Amino acid sequence: MTEFVSRFIAIPDLLAASPILAIGLTLTAFFVGNWLFARIGKPLWMPPVLLSAVILSAVIAVLSIDYVRYQEGALWITVLLGPATVALGIPLYQQIHHIRALWLPIVVTLPLAATMAAVYAVVIAWTLGATPEVLASLAPKSVTAPIAIGITEQLGGSVALMMGGLLITGVVATLFVDLLAKWLPVEDERILGFALGLNGHAIGTARAFEISHTAGAFSSLGMGLTGVFTALILPLVFRL
Amino acid sequence: MPMLRGFLILVLFFLLGEALRVLFLLPVSGGVLGMILMTLSLMLRGRVNDDLATASQALISVLVLLIMPGVVGVFFLASQFSGQWLAVAAALLLGTFLSVLTTLLVMKGVLRLSAQRRSND
Repeated sequence: MTEFVSRFIAIPDLLAASPILAIGLTLTAFFVGNWLFARIGKPLWMPPVLLSAVILSAVIAVLSIDYVRYQEGALWITVLLGPATVALGIPLYQQIHHIRALWLPIVVTLPLAATMAAVYAVVIAWTLGATPEVLASLAPKSVTAPIAIGITEQLGGSVALMMGGLLITGVVATLFVDLLAKWLPVEDERILGFALGLNGHAIGTARAFEISHTAGAFSSLGMGLTGVFTALILPLVFRL
Repeated sequence: MPMLRGFLILVLFFLLGEALRVLFLLPVSGGVLGMILMTLSLMLRGRVNDDLATASQALISVLVLLIMPGVVGVFFLASQFSGQWLAVAAALLLGTFLSVLTTLLVMKGVLRLSAQRRSND
């Protein structure tokens, strides 16, 4: 009987030898997270990716699966980020006519605001004594995840820390845009949408689509252009 | 099949981006280079092929799934960065507040200026 129990306890470790356990667990957490997100009324401060990740982390910890081993198996999923990043070029192309309509404000705002989004974070963290690895993980905080993962790897940062920063940035950018829109005030939906996408990547874009379709389109555009611009500029700046 | 055909196009653009990165020692990831090449080629063609639209929609709709393993790392590697949490929190909160403020003010200002110039003409 004790032998049976010990065989039972060893199951997760034995199954973890193949990537299929990591794939199964990730998929399960993804669906459970999405279901739970809908059940608790789709709150802005708790994006589904965070919900799913918390569930997944808890399951990995409870089954005492080795984290590095999990990541090796999950490579079957994360390797798809490459083609998924390429796929972002299609919605970007579909939004490009907005640039023609409003090219001057976009051309002036984008380089300045996208650069400052990284500069503010890096300068504040550097002043408070963060290490170069942490700085490299914070720099792409306003960039959409698939692009930001590529940037952080190029800069030598921690992808895990960057992902955490990315989530927090998306959530607080959404709150700050709502707050400052009232204070300043800014009522133009195109400006609000662009600011949401530029600073708050996909999380901001989800909020922008709640404001209006126009805000959503400008947010997608802001997110796409920020991703491309930051990916091109940051590695060059960090080299110096 | 249409989905797989579209997926193949995405994979080919990604491989092309990676090849360019290695060839010219570019600091930008192959995915971003592939995305830029994709946008440029669509601008030249002027339309999106159906297979490509199907495959890209499918991948974009599961982006959350693809980034989840990366997010999970935060909970397991957090102890590595102990002692730097104040710097991280300040950079994220204050930094994001300042960058949202900058974006709104600059864009509002430029829009107002270009509207004024148009009314003066």
